Amino acid sequence: MVPRRTSMTGAAMRRTLSEKSWGYVLAAPAFILVGCLALAPIAAALWLSLRHRLPILAVDEFVGAANYLDLLSDDRFWAACRTTLYFTVLSVTIELVLGLGLALLLHGLTRRPSPSARIAQVVTILPWAVPTVVSAQIWLWLYQPDYGLLNYLLRQAGVVAASVDWLADPDWAIHAAIAMDVWKTTPFAALLLLAGLKAVPEDLYDAARIDGAGWWERFRMITLPLLMPIILITLVFRTMDAVRVFDAVYVLTGGGPGNATETLSIYAYKTLFQSLQFGYGSALATAMFVIAAALSTMYLLLLRRHLREVP
Amino acid sequence: MTARGWLIVWALSVTGCMQPGESPEPAATVLVFKHGRLSGDGEALSGLLREFEQRFPGVVVREELLPASSDRQHQYYAMNLDGGSAPFDLLGVDTIWVQEFAKAGWLSSLDDILLPAERDEFFPGPIEAATFEGRLYALPWYIDAGVLYYRRDLLERHGLDPPRTWPELVRAAKLVLDAERDGRLAGFVWQGKQYEGLICVAVEVLRSHGADLWTGDRDRAEAGLRFLREAISVHGITPLSASMADEESTRLMFGDGRALFMRNWPYAWALLQREGSPVRDKIGMAPLPSFPGQAGAPVLGGWLLAIPQNSPKREAAGKLIRFLTSLSAQRRIAMDLGYNPTRRALYAEQSLLKVRPLLKDLYPIFVSARPRPITPYYLALSQAAQPEVSAVVVGRKTPREALTAVRSQAERLLPKSAFPSKAKES
Repeated sequence: MVPRRTSMTGAAMRRTLSEKSWGYVLAAPAFILVGCLALAPIAAALWLSLRHRLPILAVDEFVGAANYLDLLSDDRFWAACRTTLYFTVLSVTIELVLGLGLALLLHGLTRRPSPSARIAQVVTILPWAVPTVVSAQIWLWLYQPDYGLLNYLLRQAGVVAASVDWLADPDWAIHAAIAMDVWKTTPFAALLLLAGLKAVPEDLYDAARIDGAGWWERFRMITLPLLMPIILITLVFRTMDAVRVFDAVYVLTGGGPGNATETLSIYAYKTLFQSLQFGYGSALATAMFVIAAALSTMYLLLLRRHLREVP
Repeated sequence: MTARGWLIVWALSVTGCMQPGESPEPAATVLVFKHGRLSGDGEALSGLLREFEQRFPGVVVREELLPASSDRQHQYYAMNLDGGSAPFDLLGVDTIWVQEFAKAGWLSSLDDILLPAERDEFFPGPIEAATFEGRLYALPWYIDAGVLYYRRDLLERHGLDPPRTWPELVRAAKLVLDAERDGRLAGFVWQGKQYEGLICVAVEVLRSHGADLWTGDRDRAEAGLRFLREAISVHGITPLSASMADEESTRLMFGDGRALFMRNWPYAWALLQREGSPVRDKIGMAPLPSFPGQAGAPVLGGWLLAIPQNSPKREAAGKLIRFLTSLSAQRRIAMDLGYNPTRRALYAEQSLLKVRPLLKDLYPIFVSARPRPITPYYLALSQAAQPEVSAVVVGRKTPREALTAVRSQAERLLPKSAFPSKAKES
């Protein structure tokens, strides 16, 4: 609690503690919590990544950058990087575009409150509320070549003559995973963007209408620029998640077939927990962390520039 | 106990001063038995444990279940055993972990619990898998091995016998598929997903060609891998969906009457023969085929029981292991749980064979079952090989490319001394 100014003169407060120090004291629990829960494990993983630690060999020694040098010559690592980036770029782009469309629709619907608008909002968010492992299992059934719904619909519509085995074909499998991710997280993007849309002052649109601006011009000149900070924040959230994608792909394909869907986190998981190479696995996890951090820093820099340009 | 007494117990347990599993009553020894969820009737095992408690008063067994997934269990054990003080006294281990855990110093040697003279009473495979540097680290709990399921009705209709060789299987599958003209029928299904199950299949096929994935003759090994791919691409007897198939999806397909042959573990039999199953009484089981002139060996599966190193309750845990691997407990596991016992004598017991006639067919298969390479580095080896073999199955890599990668990984992963000559057995 900040001492109430009425009960203590400014001079008295300065005598005990300056306002700035008080600020530190009050923020200390939060710092300690974040330190224990986030920073300490990160530091431990970094430390581990500089060691060879193979419990079954009773090896536990400091090796400096050896694990990282091994990464550079590890084809499986580079393949996982490519798969992860491909997954990230494609899924995040589609999610953003669809999410924006969905947000605009919902915004239009919810401008006048009605039961149907509320239902629409709830239905939209449902896929996001389902745990990823569960939705991956659902999609596993949808993709099933013999009794899966997707193949049934495509056959009925005459798009395909025979069932396509989406997950068994290495070229299709990664796209099947992307489609599932898009289904699941587009609502999240839409929700963030909807909040941004609600913050755009309505009179700007009215003024633009009076000036004779059409829908597209209003979207391009008002909505998009004012929404840009939220779009960038959405991109940060989604990119971080997509770079670390694990459960969606792991349940659908386990990284196969032919390693076509092995993302960095799946490779790190297998290295850490299945073959128990703790040092090398931590190096993989750190590489993933660096990629995610680099991408989000890029977005944040863009965001800062944008905020400076549009006061 | 008074309210104050409970408060002290609570405070001790909250602050971690009390070991988990320690009971406030000093008289009873509580054994924590950690194992994966068993399919079938879990009550049957609990009944056995209660029987043990009656026989050894003062010992209480508490079961703590892990998910059925082998990967998850491995992860749990690796993290808890590495710390040095495991929160359990007895654990179920997969055949492929014993070497690794023993090498890491996580398990207590059980040489005094099962004397060498008694070891012949069990099948040789699990004993071999549990022996590390001459010492035994786990006792066989139940056993598994890869087998071939076939549709007896379809083979009979076309005047065919169960195949003994892979070329015979291909011929039979093509003949039946051509004659039946059923678009939904597949010839031969197996586990081709990128996971441990694929390595089991590959090791079996390679062995049946006198080869091994990680060492030995390259040409034979390549030919074995090529057979897996060609079953899909050339012979057309295996659907592409094999590249995503695990045990359950193949079992469901075969159980739905949509496959002529299936490679799987014996567990599927009871499910396929269930009331209402479309293939009930239409199926048979045989040893896996091999290439002409070669003797194959199915991959050994199953679970063993072990005790963590430095367990303070080793004596009581040892008694429980002896009890669970005794003739009478093994009989119960076979009768009530439907698992396959590890004691050979039971396979000649008429009363048991009357309830589970299949055991008679399984006996020679279990005798011939061989562990996957017996090395502490097996999981890393398998892990590195899975993407390569999977790439062959879907046609992304040639057998030669994949084998080159598998062999060079083995060299990179393993110190030269790490590969005992035993890994070369066929």
